Amino acid sequence: MAKAFKYGLKGITGYLEPTERELLRSLIDDVISMLQPEEREGQDPLAAMIGLDMDVAEPTDRAVKRLLPNVVKNDGAASLEFRQLTERSLRETKIGALRAAALDLDKDEIVLTPEGARHWSMALNDVRLVLAERLDIQDEEDAEHVHLMQDWSQAEDVESYLALVYNFATWLQESLVQAMLQSLDTRR
Amino acid sequence: MTLSVALGPDTQEGTRTGTAESTDFLAAPDIPWNLVIWNDPVNLMSYVSYVFQSYFGYSETKANKLMMEVHKKGRSIVASGSKEQVERHAVAMHGFGLWATVEKASGGPGGNSGKSGGSGQGKGKRG
Repeated sequence: MAKAFKYGLKGITGYLEPTERELLRSLIDDVISMLQPEEREGQDPLAAMIGLDMDVAEPTDRAVKRLLPNVVKNDGAASLEFRQLTERSLRETKIGALRAAALDLDKDEIVLTPEGARHWSMALNDVRLVLAERLDIQDEEDAEHVHLMQDWSQAEDVESYLALVYNFATWLQESLVQAMLQSLDTRR
Repeated sequence: MTLSVALGPDTQEGTRTGTAESTDFLAAPDIPWNLVIWNDPVNLMSYVSYVFQSYFGYSETKANKLMMEVHKKGRSIVASGSKEQVERHAVAMHGFGLWATVEKASGGPGGNSGKSGGSGQGKGKRG
């Protein structure tokens, strides 16, 4: 069984079983592949280098849209203009955090610097956002319903399996964030 | 937001006395743009508070107050400033996975004020 993240002398530490690490690695890989920017023909290489993407469109996949939301409510044009300037680098920021977390999965014991912990919390959050879209968690009631799934022997179909995975990621993120809040406090 | 109940006593939050206060809200009252954070059923309450504390430098008390406002009212204005400033904050919030939008302080572009019932509540709570 995984151990909750803790804040101590070594920094923030946690422990995951090999199967849990494999699971997290594959979830992280899924999210990375969703965020990988499309390479299009005839793209201006200089524009791409500085993060501009004039051909960007609002994501059609709901989970991707949750990861890369519109910045102005009820204004698609203003949001699209903002995407052209920022979406590419936002994708890269997210992929960077996800890759950093994946690298830490090579060892049983996870020891995190403040920077590493921030990457982990962002990565776990993005993983949970994607799982939540797949589970169709739209409101607090849906979240409660999914939260009730705690017993792995109940995993009979894809949805119940996803719910258990979501709850595992939630538990892990909550323990990590509590450890991060403690470390914030110590540094104040 | 969601409150995870799966934690044991070993990970409970300790007592903290944050003193950091943001200067964002101390600026002139005619600030033109607001950064709005919207409620969603996925983000952990602790995580949202952590982001407000670590990114904006808000005290634990202030971060929790804003977080609860998001949770209960559906949205909260968590920072104000120039368009460029709040847009930069919005990208950072999206990086953390929070659902952030920017809007003009007068009620917001696109006539979205009042949609969640929480619009405009931020002003009276400043300082």
